[in-house]
Amino acid sequence: MSQSTDKTIAEGVMKALGRVIEPDFKKDLVTLNMIEELSVKEGHVVFTVILTTPACPLKEEIKKACMSALASVPGIASVDIRMTARTTGGGAREGKLAIEGVKNVIAVSSGKGGVGKSTTAVNLSIALSRLGAKVGILDSDVYGPNIPMMLGVTTLPKQVNNRWFPPKIHDIPIMSMAFMAPPGAPLIWRGPMLHGIITQFVRDVEWGELDYLVVDMPPGTGDAQLSLCQLVPVTGAVIVTTPQEVALSDSRRGLAMFQKVNVPILGIVENMSTFHCPHCHHETPIFSSGGGEHAAAELKVPFLGRIPIDLAIREAGDSGRPIGLTHPESPLSEAYLKIAGSIASRISVLNSDYQPITLGNLAQAT
Amino acid sequence: MNTPLPQSIESPDPRSVRILWRDGHISLYPSRTLRLFCPCASCVNEWTGERTVRESDIPEEIRPTSWNLVGQYALSIGFSDGHDTGIYSFELLRALCSCPHCEQDRRQKHHQS
Repeated sequence: MSQSTDKTIAEGVMKALGRVIEPDFKKDLVTLNMIEELSVKEGHVVFTVILTTPACPLKEEIKKACMSALASVPGIASVDIRMTARTTGGGAREGKLAIEGVKNVIAVSSGKGGVGKSTTAVNLSIALSRLGAKVGILDSDVYGPNIPMMLGVTTLPKQVNNRWFPPKIHDIPIMSMAFMAPPGAPLIWRGPMLHGIITQFVRDVEWGELDYLVVDMPPGTGDAQLSLCQLVPVTGAVIVTTPQEVALSDSRRGLAMFQKVNVPILGIVENMSTFHCPHCHHETPIFSSGGGEHAAAELKVPFLGRIPIDLAIREAGDSGRPIGLTHPESPLSEAYLKIAGSIASRISVLNSDYQPITLGNLAQAT
Repeated sequence: MNTPLPQSIESPDPRSVRILWRDGHISLYPSRTLRLFCPCASCVNEWTGERTVRESDIPEEIRPTSWNLVGQYALSIGFSDGHDTGIYSFELLRALCSCPHCEQDRRQKHHQS
């Protein structure tokens, strides 16, 4: 086969890929600059598809769509599609508030305590990491910083030359308010102290290169939460709620707070959504069900999914070995993976629209 | 939030601040007006909403000396009189726009209500 035929094939390939639509962005792969390193030798086609997140839930779908689009291109002997990702960042990496090395910050929040916010934060972090993303966790829950316990972290961060090196579990760096006080001691952080410690977490911690930093927020909508929104460059917020009305009304407050400070809502997760009895297999909606979905529809934000009440999740959290690690194939882990994928694609879409605000210089005193 | 976001915030000269909004609108604020409308707790009584800063206390020549974006919703401004606790949300800044167009909008809304 001649070089000129290869060239014709390459052109045909690009033309065909120009008809493959990325479902999230609703544009074709060529327009989105997602195709790189296309080579054709003797009819053998190799190219790379660059996704905007390694946690892309549409990876296989896009690959299949490419394959079928190429079926119409004459002269192809074989096709080798490589899928890789270059996570996009938005506001999280701009300006004074940027956290070095961190592309996106996800705030996991709830209007009230006890809905399983920290459990959700931990399991979503693990799910994002299992999907191939580099993830870190910032446990900023000033009232009950339990993430180290849930992940079985026993070592403290190391401080070298004013830089903090966080402990890692399964390659996930973890910083927590819990490291700042002796175990069991009450955490009474007043506004300015909180401000100081969060500033340190943002500025002085060596997170390394992260696609996503998951921030476990304190529950509620008070001073601490507002300070965090002002200090941490949040890409988007996930609201965790239980389905009963009492929890939902607080979730609406939480959502309103994020809207006030202009943090995009990635969606609502309904936790403790139902209980499957392991003995009689009857399903009991202990905290009602479907409430999260209704609230999402009413507030016009995405509904990300529901997680049932399950003994395994609680046991895993208490033992410091989260379910995503102990039972990666279980339906519960699958549910977390699905939610993590939706969050990652929402962030990619948000980042594609992101425009920084240019802040001009001020004239110096004369 | 329905308020448009700024595209750029500049101070073309010490006496004024200019915001180009993403919807194409341009607002020009006298620096002194921004200082007078400072929304912080020491300038506004949090319970009554009464403004406690006196106009006569603010120098004519006041200018911004430092500023930073706050999260993704506001601008904090430090002024030459040493006052730097004001966090101006974009919503507030847009509402303070005094261009003829915005003034007319406000007058109309005022008449309707």
